[in-house]
Amino acid sequence: MRPFVFTQAQNQEQALAAAAANETAKYLGGGTNLIDLMKEDVERPSELIEVAGLGFQEIKSNQNGGYTLGAMLSNADTANHPDIRRHYPLLSMAMLSAATAQIRNMATNGGNLLQRTRCPYFYETSMPCNKREPGSGCGARNGMNALHAIFGWNEQCVAVNPSDMCVALAAIGAKVQVQRVNGTTRTIDFSDFHRLPGDQPEADNTLQPNELITAIELPKPAFSKHYYYLKIRERSSYAFALISVAAGLQIENGTIVRAGLAMGGVAHKPWKLTRAEEFLTGKLPQTKNFEQAAELAMREARPLEDNEYKVEMGKKAIVRALTQAYEKNA
Amino acid sequence: MNKIDPWDSPNANDRQLSVDEAKILDQLGLTGDSRRKFLSRVSAASLSVLASPFFTAEVFGKAISNNPAASPEELLNVILVDLRVNDTVKPLQLDSRMTLLDALRERLQLTGTKKGCDHGQCGACTVMIDGKRKLSCLTLAATCKGKEITTIEGLAGEDDLHPMQAAFLKHDGFQCGYCTPGQICSAVALLDEAKEGEASYVTEAVGEIKEDIQLSEEEIRERMSGNICRCGAYNNIVQAIMEVQSGEETPARWEFASAEQMKKAKSS
Amino acid sequence: MKNTTPSGTGNPIDRVEGHLKVRGMAKYASEFPVSGKVYAQAINSTIAKGEITAIDTSEAEKQEGVIEIITYKNAEKLKRYDEELPSLLPDVIQPVLQSPKVHYYGEYVGLVVAETFEQAQYAARLVRFEYRTEEPRIHLDRQRSDAYKPEESSDYSRGDVAAGMAEADEKVEVTYHTPIEHHHPMELHAIIASWENGEVKAYASQQMIDNAAITIANTFQIPKEKVRVIAPYVGGGFGSKLHAKQHVILAIMAARKIGRPVQLTVTRQQMFTNTNFRQQNEQKMQLGAKKDGTLTALVHETLSHTSTYEEYQESCGTVSKMLYKVPNNKVSHRLVPLNLQTPFAMRAPGEATGSFALESAIDELAWKLKMDPIEFRIKNDTQTDPSNNKPFSSRLLTECLRIGADKFGWERRKMKPGAQQEGNWLIGYGVSGASRAAPYRETSSKVKLELKGGKVYATIQMDATDIGTGSYTIITQTASEYLDIPVDQVSVELGDSLFPVTPGSGGSWGAASYANGARVACMNAIRELNQKLNTDEDLSIQALLEKNELSSYETTGTAKPSEAFKKHSVYSFGANFAEVWVDKDTGMYRIKRMVNVGACGKILNPKTAFGQIIGGLTMGAGMVIAEQSRIEPKYGNFITRSFADYHVPVNLDLANIDVVFLPEEDKIANEMGVKGIGELGITSVAASIANAIFNATGKRMRDLPITPEKLIMAEPEPDAI
Repeated sequence: MRPFVFTQAQNQEQALAAAAANETAKYLGGGTNLIDLMKEDVERPSELIEVAGLGFQEIKSNQNGGYTLGAMLSNADTANHPDIRRHYPLLSMAMLSAATAQIRNMATNGGNLLQRTRCPYFYETSMPCNKREPGSGCGARNGMNALHAIFGWNEQCVAVNPSDMCVALAAIGAKVQVQRVNGTTRTIDFSDFHRLPGDQPEADNTLQPNELITAIELPKPAFSKHYYYLKIRERSSYAFALISVAAGLQIENGTIVRAGLAMGGVAHKPWKLTRAEEFLTGKLPQTKNFEQAAELAMREARPLEDNEYKVEMGKKAIVRALTQAYEKNA
Repeated sequence: MNKIDPWDSPNANDRQLSVDEAKILDQLGLTGDSRRKFLSRVSAASLSVLASPFFTAEVFGKAISNNPAASPEELLNVILVDLRVNDTVKPLQLDSRMTLLDALRERLQLTGTKKGCDHGQCGACTVMIDGKRKLSCLTLAATCKGKEITTIEGLAGEDDLHPMQAAFLKHDGFQCGYCTPGQICSAVALLDEAKEGEASYVTEAVGEIKEDIQLSEEEIRERMSGNICRCGAYNNIVQAIMEVQSGEETPARWEFASAEQMKKAKSS
Repeated sequence: MKNTTPSGTGNPIDRVEGHLKVRGMAKYASEFPVSGKVYAQAINSTIAKGEITAIDTSEAEKQEGVIEIITYKNAEKLKRYDEELPSLLPDVIQPVLQSPKVHYYGEYVGLVVAETFEQAQYAARLVRFEYRTEEPRIHLDRQRSDAYKPEESSDYSRGDVAAGMAEADEKVEVTYHTPIEHHHPMELHAIIASWENGEVKAYASQQMIDNAAITIANTFQIPKEKVRVIAPYVGGGFGSKLHAKQHVILAIMAARKIGRPVQLTVTRQQMFTNTNFRQQNEQKMQLGAKKDGTLTALVHETLSHTSTYEEYQESCGTVSKMLYKVPNNKVSHRLVPLNLQTPFAMRAPGEATGSFALESAIDELAWKLKMDPIEFRIKNDTQTDPSNNKPFSSRLLTECLRIGADKFGWERRKMKPGAQQEGNWLIGYGVSGASRAAPYRETSSKVKLELKGGKVYATIQMDATDIGTGSYTIITQTASEYLDIPVDQVSVELGDSLFPVTPGSGGSWGAASYANGARVACMNAIRELNQKLNTDEDLSIQALLEKNELSSYETTGTAKPSEAFKKHSVYSFGANFAEVWVDKDTGMYRIKRMVNVGACGKILNPKTAFGQIIGGLTMGAGMVIAEQSRIEPKYGNFITRSFADYHVPVNLDLANIDVVFLPEEDKIANEMGVKGIGELGITSVAASIANAIFNATGKRMRDLPITPEKLIMAEPEPDAI
């Protein structure tokens, strides 16, 4: 690790001010991703501002009829919170599929949103990576890309977002609350929070410098009955997804009135399957409809040399996740 | 020491001590008669092994020199932390980069917590921080101010093993022993989590909330998947945990073929 | 002597060192509180082939705490190889930092020593290297035209395989692939090295103490007596700690240079690049059989690789020479030198991978013959080793298969793939036979007896290691049995080069060698004490000491393989049964249960023996599930560079395993009738799982690991579904 100044902020204002005063400072939450990347010499902050002690640990109901999650609350405490388990079991399930009990006890909700890609070209500092070192090229584009994107990639970057929590949040349709140094706040639609590589592959998200995530807003619960988070991976636990699908269905009188569907492991951001969601709305929860939704969802997939399998796997995963969601409590 | 310690050697008197060994004895406060008595019980290879419980249990706090390696001015960013480990507080001056894992191992001689990957990918460094299992390799020591850290050395009583330690021993829940402290810390925390009714990815209905749940084998396996055992003692680890959870004996899964089986196999 | 103590061999006592391990009190290499020690961090090359052209250490030198930076420019001159491509034997020299040449990505190019670990790691990042880069040779497939026959060839042939294939009614001609796999013991390779009065002292994580001392002595050109290696506990090895590797030399070199003890821990990432691996294999199999199941021909050709600076070959075909009675047999092995580090023995080298190919191919042929794969194997069982016509010392393969089949419920298996389903799961059963040589090597041991308070206390010393194998426990039990005293009056001291020499832990010879070594020392003590009294009474060890008016006594003993051993083929045998549930859509699968049967001589301690079997099965399950180290085609580095990329099995990947030991005491193998067990488990498991996947899906998965992506893209065999 490179040397850094360790700053323990006493309150939110101090944290924001410290960050504003040092453009190479970083906030430290659970550290599960940042400390690893610092050991790898990928992240090189000159200062760490510890934000774990600033509060933002609560889960409370919000004015939309939903709940708001504190950004500094651990993933474990969030996933196991009775209100989240009851009203957003899809989110709980996705969060519990991630990493391990130890890591979920450490990782924070805000930190999970900022989790960086697991692309080995990003991690290995001797190889080119536009995300780590803009302008150095994308090693994976014409290298080993079995684990990489099939949607939204470009020549600059083919990396995928590794989060499970974020896939569920995309399916549910969350918002991110952010605090700025001047005291103002802003709210970002989840679909606008993460971004595609574009010509700025180094930027994973649309946070502005020094902005601090304070909370995640969830809408009124819709998928508390029919939900499933399917995670396909190389071993049965403690592995990032090859492909994951978060599926939520709201079914009334036998008809789907609302569908929430997103995929992980396929793009630079959690990939919301908007067309499939729209297709399913008003349809019967039947296999042929699930299959058609999957076809629609995967129509625009552009696999790389090594990851053609993800198209096939993706279709099957969508059908399976929808089926499981439907059958749950059916 | 327990009488079946493999190094308990009756024949190790009057040998030359290295500087290190002499220093250990000094730090243990063993001089004169007690030093000779102590030495008569140990062999060369075992001295530092035997020393470790003394370091951790008895002289923790006074015998450890306050960082022999680096004086504060040598460090780029010195952090002062009162590290509370196993109910003992130790004031440390340390490099801001130092992880809790390295602080335990290199500064406090609490080497029971293991470094298996240093990147949060194996679980060998699992400790409990404020009662929750966490990875000490991804925890900066600087962030541990005011927190209660429990390591493997803090689980056992003076004479008795923690029930989980005893179950691991009985069920041979380890081989090389390197992942073991992390496994045991993880398993102890796991049963607390079950009491709290926490769910896992394999929990059938996440939305149904119950307390004090009895974990199935599948649940234990999922919840212990953050602790890698390359020797492959998983099955024995699961048996140990199930026995502690239920209080009922879990039978061994090995047997010898009977003479009858042998005869049948030969003749058919 | 008759065992009258309840704790002698054969009893499932808890590990005698277990209480230290569960308390975290067992001390591994980097945990000895050596005062004044400093920390080293090794630096790796970032090219796969070429030469260092410039080194800039200035930035690193300026950093706080940095004591020394060593590169090839200022490294101590070490003994270097006399020949090109020397064989990589366990006691080989390990020169390091001797030239600017780079042979593989990640080769050590420097070392930083600093007061603290954090300082050393940081400064190591700041040393700048410039390289002249050459095109590396890293593709086994593309470089296949460079394949050569190793000088010490393992090629073998009997009969006429072309004729054998011609007379076959059914044939299988297929190729199996296995990737590079890494050992990855949980304890990182580590050493604390110091020099005192011209002597080296090394707390080092090594499986073989004597070999490590020899490597160190030979590399530094000092007498072996001036090298002390200490490893009371080793956190797993699986072959990767068989010999002292370059980091051992680096730390010792640095300690001498700066005059202080140096601690060097190999990082998990460096354990991909600097502590060897199991090589990639391409195994071409040809098998033929008559309608009644009689094998007529078996060809096993392996293409693999070595490094460009050392030669290592592990013959995957060994198992094909001896496991079945087949008159026409050919085995060959070719190597391609690649710009990768030298492969080296990983648990069951040759057998683990070779058995995957052979036992999968046997299953394929049984399917073609429409024969039960167990009956097909039994049909071709033999009590004579067809490769050398020596009788097997004992061979219970048929019994393993039959007893396992009963225990497993094999009769419920449907021959037709996909015939058993439950929900989204396709259920398959698979079986595989196993064999693994049961070697036994010369082993010395010292026994010290002391009479105290009316009891005899014994201490056994040898330079053996316990790498998780249970050495402490079985040696304790052996001494307890042969001295006829309770186990808690026996102490065992291991892992120190001051103790009598043993072959160390590896190659499945540990238990047999250590136990017999301890046995001979104990028997020598009894014999010598009897001789002093000139009596042939059957006196207890206590009476012997008392009548001799001795309060203590010590002696040594050496066990050696017998003449009978050499006249036989000595192997352990086994069979593994797996039930696998394959998700019909996602490509994920679960190993639901396994039954393993082993005929491996006398079981010294069924509890620790069970651990060895399930450990092998777990690692073998890893071979199938996900383990693979993949090489970046342009840069030549491992793209699977961390434990997050290289997936070893986790707890949920396994399920319950029942192990049945067959009652067997093979007195030809050695006087105690003990055979090896550490590698038998891994030898049988991969094929049994792959065969179960075929039984579930009709898909023949011939390329390990069997990942979801491969399963999804694979097509069932035309006639299977």
